[in-house]
Amino acid sequence: MRKLIFCTLALLTGVANAGTIEMKVYGLVCGFCAQGIEKTLRKNPATSDVVVSLEHKLVAISTHEGQDIPDAELTRALTDSGYDVKGIERTRRSLDQIRAELRQEKK
Amino acid sequence: MNLFRIAFAGCVLAGAGTLAEAKPIAFSHGTTVMAEYGAGTMTEAQVFYAPKYFLSLGGGHLELESDIDHRRREITYARANYLVKRWNLEDAQANVFVWGGAGQAYVSELDEHQFAANAGAQIDYETRRIYASLKTDLQRADAFSHRTDTLQLGLAPYKHDFDSLATWFVLQGRQYTGGIHDGTEWALLLRLFKRGAWIEAGVTDEGKLQAMAMVNF
Repeated sequence: MRKLIFCTLALLTGVANAGTIEMKVYGLVCGFCAQGIEKTLRKNPATSDVVVSLEHKLVAISTHEGQDIPDAELTRALTDSGYDVKGIERTRRSLDQIRAELRQEKK
Repeated sequence: MNLFRIAFAGCVLAGAGTLAEAKPIAFSHGTTVMAEYGAGTMTEAQVFYAPKYFLSLGGGHLELESDIDHRRREITYARANYLVKRWNLEDAQANVFVWGGAGQAYVSELDEHQFAANAGAQIDYETRRIYASLKTDLQRADAFSHRTDTLQLGLAPYKHDFDSLATWFVLQGRQYTGGIHDGTEWALLLRLFKRGAWIEAGVTDEGKLQAMAMVNF
């Protein structure tokens, strides 16, 4: 029974601890302005890295191993920075992959 | 007064040294340092700190010199800026800001200092390719009332991204009331910014330098 509970919890938290959180954000039109978002998210102790793409209206963060940031906290951080969050998704893409894809698109 | 101005100039230079919007509020917990040279008629430096994304507090020093009769005003002020409304659209952002403050003004023709009040507003709209803003700034004391209205229309030749250099060509029209300048002063500006550093420079229709530098950190 303990094993079953453990496995169920592991499956449930596994989704939350995917490590990369991608957010669709409206109002991102200027790198000069969006630096506030990066600054705010980097202050969170669970954050290990941040990528912002104006082209994709994307703010992606990676979290430290085994850590997560609740959606409500992310939404509050972005809203308090003056932007509107339109979606939050946990993905398997690493931030290095996202950076590489963004670089590829520019070529 | 001199001590304050020296300290203020020191803050500006310190900020420019560590890094180098034209929005009065950059971002929550951000500091904005700005200096503008407006064709010899207007020179201004400002420092603001934003405890919230919709509010910034700070001060500035503005010098206005009439190119008609060389009357001069040197105004040092404390100011609060407030974001009244922001529209975050999928590919655009629009804002309405207001501000108000008070300080002291030196009036050259009277050779005296007077209490001065300040109020203004700005509305702007931008995408990654076009930019438009309209700003009005009123400085008032017993001896004068000057309003500076500034229209800016910008066009970017390409879409910049977060880590890349943004380039804008900006047409600026500016009018002063109260005998500072006759008619509309037009200027063509080249604006460059990347992350927290912003610089723009150009010439007016009279061939005078118009320039601004700003850092956010």
